[in-house]
This record gives sequence, C-alpha cells and structure tokens, in this order.
Amino acid sequence: MGVHAQQGSYSGLEMMVVAASRLLQNGEMVLVGTGLPLVGATLAKNTHAPAMTIVMEAVAFDSRPLALPFCVADPRGVYHTPWTPTAFETLGQLLQNRRIDAGFLGGAQVDKYGNINSTCVGPYLSPHKRFEGSGGACDIAALAGRTIIIIGHERKRFVEQVDYITSPGWRCRDYHTGALVDRVELGLWGGPEAVVSTMGVMKFDPETKEMYLAEYFAELGVTPAEVTANTGFAMDTSRAKPFTPPLVSELEVLRTLVDPEGIYMKY
Amino acid sequence: MGNLTKVMSLAEAASLVQDGDSVFTGGWTVVRKPMGMVYELIRQRKRDLHLVSNPGGPEIDLLIGAGCVSMTETNYIGHEVFGHPYNFRRAVEMGPEQSGFHHDDWTVQTGTMRIVAGAMGLPFLPTLSLKGSDIINPDLDPVRHLRGKDPRLPKQKVAFMRDPFWEGQEVVLVPALRPDVCIIHTQEVGDQGTVRTRGGNFMDCYAAMAAKTTIVTAERVVPEDSLKELPELNSIPGHLVHAIVELPYGGHPTAVRGCYDNDPWWFKEYLAASRNREKFAAWLTDWVLGVPDHAAYLAKVGSQRLQHLQADPVLGYNPHIKRRLDRLEEVQ
Repeated sequence: MGVHAQQGSYSGLEMMVVAASRLLQNGEMVLVGTGLPLVGATLAKNTHAPAMTIVMEAVAFDSRPLALPFCVADPRGVYHTPWTPTAFETLGQLLQNRRIDAGFLGGAQVDKYGNINSTCVGPYLSPHKRFEGSGGACDIAALAGRTIIIIGHERKRFVEQVDYITSPGWRCRDYHTGALVDRVELGLWGGPEAVVSTMGVMKFDPETKEMYLAEYFAELGVTPAEVTANTGFAMDTSRAKPFTPPLVSELEVLRTLVDPEGIYMKY
Repeated sequence: MGNLTKVMSLAEAASLVQDGDSVFTGGWTVVRKPMGMVYELIRQRKRDLHLVSNPGGPEIDLLIGAGCVSMTETNYIGHEVFGHPYNFRRAVEMGPEQSGFHHDDWTVQTGTMRIVAGAMGLPFLPTLSLKGSDIINPDLDPVRHLRGKDPRLPKQKVAFMRDPFWEGQEVVLVPALRPDVCIIHTQEVGDQGTVRTRGGNFMDCYAAMAAKTTIVTAERVVPEDSLKELPELNSIPGHLVHAIVELPYGGHPTAVRGCYDNDPWWFKEYLAASRNREKFAAWLTDWVLGVPDHAAYLAKVGSQRLQHLQADPVLGYNPHIKRRLDRLEEVQ
C-alpha cells in the first residue's frame, strides 16, 4: 500500500485533494470541472486510476494532459485526446445518456443535502456577492451517476440551506411548488456521494439524506468537534473515523507532476 | 452569399453589429475568444447589446465594463482560475435600476440545447437537466418583467412537458437562442469563409448556423482551395459566413491552440484594474479607447511578450509559460 507521509509534511489542501482523488475508481468515466476537481482527477489518473476516462465538458474526452489545464477548454487538456467533442456531445449526450459514472465539482456553498451554490452570496435577485455562475455544474449534479464535491471547510460555506441552489443535491427544489423534495421525485438519478473538505470527508445518510462526518483529518489535528464548530448546521459525527493519511507517492505525484507550479495548490 | 468578397477591415466588419443586437461570441471562457473584434466594438461605442455566449469569458466582462451591454443570457462569465469577473459582478451587485444591466442564468448543457435549437430552426428543445435547481425557480427569474416586451428574450424562461412517446417522464423545454450576429475568432479561414479550427469547435458551428450574420476573424486568411484537400477538418461552410477579417493575435489574451497561449500578464493587469470602477475606466482608455486599431494594440502589447506566448506547434500550448499570477515575472 506504500509509505504514509510524515505528519506535518503536507497541508489541508493537499489532504483534501488526495482524499477526493481516492473516491474516483479505476475504469470509470468522470466529468471534471475546472479548479481543484481537475487537480484531484489528474492525481487519481496518475496514481490508482490509470484507466479512468477524464472528460472535460468543453472539448476533451479521455484527456491525458502533460501539464495542468487552466480550464476545461485549455489546449493542455486537448493534447493527445482521441476525440474533441463539443459540450453538445459531452453534456448533451454522454452525460444525459447516463454514460458518466461520476461528476467532480467545486462550489462556494454546500448545504446539508448536498445542494451546491456557485452563483451568489445573499438573495439571488439582490446579491451581496455575485460569482461566475453554474457553467456545467448544474447539469453534472443533475445527471451524473454520482457526484463528488470538493470545498474548503468554513462555517460560511457549510450552511443549513444554500442561498441559491445552482446544482441539485439529495433534497432539492421542486420547480412546481418551490418546496424541497427528494431528487428522485423530480426524475433525477445520481446524487452527491461525498463532500471532501479541508477537514474531512462527509457522506450522506441514506435515510435522512443529510450530510454526516465519515472521516476526519486527524493527522492534521482536526477533531470531530472542530468540524462541528466549522459547520453551519448540526452534523452527525458519531460515525466519524480518522482518515488514512496521504502516501508519500501520492504527494510526490501531486507536487511534481500534477501541479508543480502550485497554481491551485498554492505551495 | 455570392462570390462578392467578404474579406474586409476590422472596422468594417464591426460596423455590421448594430446597437441592440443579440450577439453570440464564440470560443470558451479564456480560450479562442474574439477579443480583437470585441475591442473594436468598444471603440465603435456599441450600446444595448444582448450577449448569449456559451460560456462567456473576458470578452463579456470587458463589454459590460465598457457599458456596451444591457443583458446577458449565459451559464458563466469569468476568467477561470485567473480571477473573478469584477465588471460583471459589480453590475449585478449594483442592481439593474442602477447599472442598466440584466443577467439571466443558464447552464452549459442547456446553453448547447438552446443554440442547437436555434441552428435547427426549432423554437425549443427538451432537456433532463435543470430539475431541482433554482435556475428554473419561477420566483427567481430576474428578467420576468421583460419577457413578452423585449423581443430578444423568450416569452418565458422554460416550460414543462410529459414525454408522450416513451416512459412519460417530465422534461424541461428550453427556448432557442436566435442571435443576430455570431462573432468567431479562429486559426484559419478561407477567403470565401470556410472555417478550420483547431483545439475544439465549442459551440461556434451551431451559433454560425443560428445567427443571421456571422463574422469570422482569423489568424490567417488562406486561399479557399487550400482548405479543400482535407475538407473533413473544416467546421463551418463559407456560405454561413458574411464577413472575414485577417487578424493575427485576434484572440489575445485568450489561448488559441497551436498559435499562442493565455497571456497571464494581461490578466494580472486587467484583474487589478477591473476591481475598481475608476481604475477600470483608466485601463479601458489606455488599452482600448485610446488605441486606434489592432496593429496599435499589438504594438502596445509588444513583440517580446507576444513572442513569449508562442505555442509549441506539437503541444498546441506554451510549455514554458508560468501561469501563477502572484509569482508572475516580467518578460525579459
């Protein structure tokens, strides 16, 4: 299984990316968004999941970048791909036709049902802070086989209810009534498998559909109590286990191959 | 279009865009955006534009900041990892009463459905996306009061229908995009308008089919016959193209595969300026309004920096360029 990295030799950001990458399985077809998802997927591809197919919605199918793409349309992602589809094929066909095993997304806020907000802070019609918008995130959250969410752990980001549901989680907006309903009632499949943060890995209770703490980054000094203190809703921590720390080999691939410049990892 | 020459100057081509037009800009966020044409639209002081890119990048933030835009219907406006779209952000946060700007949110997949419906001459297409999202929350339609009044907007945002043919599930109907003008920047165009693009077509071919007028700026205008040897590499037939402009570095500061990479120095300066309204006005005068034409713009960027952005012909990008803005070094 390899040698575990020494305590104190890696950051929360690195732990988060390693944890997220481990959720991607070899042989899967994965739709990857810009930013940390791209870092996590590239790490998985270069460690335990060499046969994973990375799809970037703008243009790249089975991407094998030699350098970290800056966005999903970057020529770095196009290099040596066997096919350059448009988003009409990637999201209009592959995704909608249920061929995507996992979607990998970031966001500004996430709530206890795994709804993601990447649109604004504050009321949508008069926001305090406006962001770039959904991109393909809403589509991926709605139609991928499952979703992995990667987001920094802060109280203002882990909220009871997101200010705006950009991307639907387990209980999301019924567009006819405005109420929150189970996504299955809307005819959606998939749903968020996990939220990976700078403090641990959260999963969702199959009965209540609420987020609970599954693993915490004990080696970074994180405790379940600290996770609770940094979460804006009541989160069950009774099932929490310490997370298996990064391997030396995972960190080496991340630092030397995936993001040597520290564009995302900010070394 | 007959055999009349379509090759014209940047200024002539930009004059085909009218105030109030609905405009689709090709490319994808920070890749292959028609930036040279966008600078010229700003110099010509276009107003009341309705932008429908899928998705938008610096070209939209720039046009908003320059006061050329009254509405955007897009899934994204931003500079990817370079930084936030401050002009767009400021216009939305200010509110439409003060900024005169409205924005309607969509998604990448539904954006493709909308432009493909436009290309097909259909009024709408169905999707399984959008369900569960506030993007179709009827209480959160920011342009509801304009629907039925502004002819550039569909009368309602979405509609719902039960599939009458198969399992009977509910689908969401999304309205076609019907741009007046499509503006594309690409690597190569024939002198009759045939487009050959490398590094992905994005939505360009559908937008050219959907738009009433298509303008293509290109790194190189080549003899039309030279594109007939390998016709399968072409993406848009010349018949759909109304205006052709030879515009080397017409995508700068966005990346054009095989030609040049993103210009991180441009983004660093633009982001610093656009954080603040007054600073942005100064930037706009310095880099756009005070620059007479594209040649003067390139001279201002400087040949050293342009040389520094050159793409490796095999890789398609520049493998040596450093892209982290907080550690950017000046070009020597």
